[in-house]
Amino acid sequence: MPETAIDTKTETQLTTPWNVVVHNDPVNLMSYVTMVFQKVFGYSRDRATKHMLEVHHLGRSIVWSGDREQAELYLQQLHGYLLQATLEKSEGC
Amino acid sequence: MLIRKWKKKAIEFSRIERIEEELLRQVPACCELDEGSNAESRIFPAPADANEQDLLQDWKEFVRPELRHLFRSAKETVEADLGLLKMKIGHLGRFLVPLEHAEPWLNALNQARLILAAKYEFSEAELSALEAPKTFSQRELVLHQINFYAAIQERIIEILTIGEDQKGSGEPGDR
Repeated sequence: MPETAIDTKTETQLTTPWNVVVHNDPVNLMSYVTMVFQKVFGYSRDRATKHMLEVHHLGRSIVWSGDREQAELYLQQLHGYLLQATLEKSEGC
Repeated sequence: MLIRKWKKKAIEFSRIERIEEELLRQVPACCELDEGSNAESRIFPAPADANEQDLLQDWKEFVRPELRHLFRSAKETVEADLGLLKMKIGHLGRFLVPLEHAEPWLNALNQARLILAAKYEFSEAELSALEAPKTFSQRELVLHQINFYAAIQERIIEILTIGEDQKGSGEPGDR
């Protein structure tokens, strides 16, 4: 039934984990990116540095995974700090 | 130029030379975006790939105006603080930035650097070169300007994070 189909889709969208991904860019300073991760996610200095180095060396880092609404809020904050960040559906979902 | 914390409530910019004053005063103008430019797409990057059309549309409609407001507000804060920078003939300049303006300063400096880098299409190698350019074309002067703003950002970040490690920030805020 159409109603059921819509409900299922909505439920899937709500429960599928989303990744917040930060991408490398040559302008943002390493110290700035680390500071932003600490401020936005409340990460310890070590964890923020680990994600910053992943971005720097691998070109991207999944900095947070979880529900879409929270992921969008984090993404908005990261864009507010001028980081290049995107949302992606978590693989395998 | 010397940048340091002042009485736990401000950041003091002192011993400012004329050339440094000029570059500081250019920050707000550097934050101006041309519609449809490379810089605009860097300042407002897409939040997801093209498969997520609903998200892209919502972002453009609801989030982008808020970001635009945030960026404009940071620029205006810097502009107002720079209004307090007075240069007397024969003297070096000085002004104070309240600590609560540190984030708007970081933001405006970042806007300026990103916009200049996009406008002049600097490569990653150029931006991360350890040696200063040896010639002085307009493009190379802009690279100096980007690096000057980066040095100010580094110093402000140092000031903001001094002593932070001693506080014991605990484990990450995973949810």
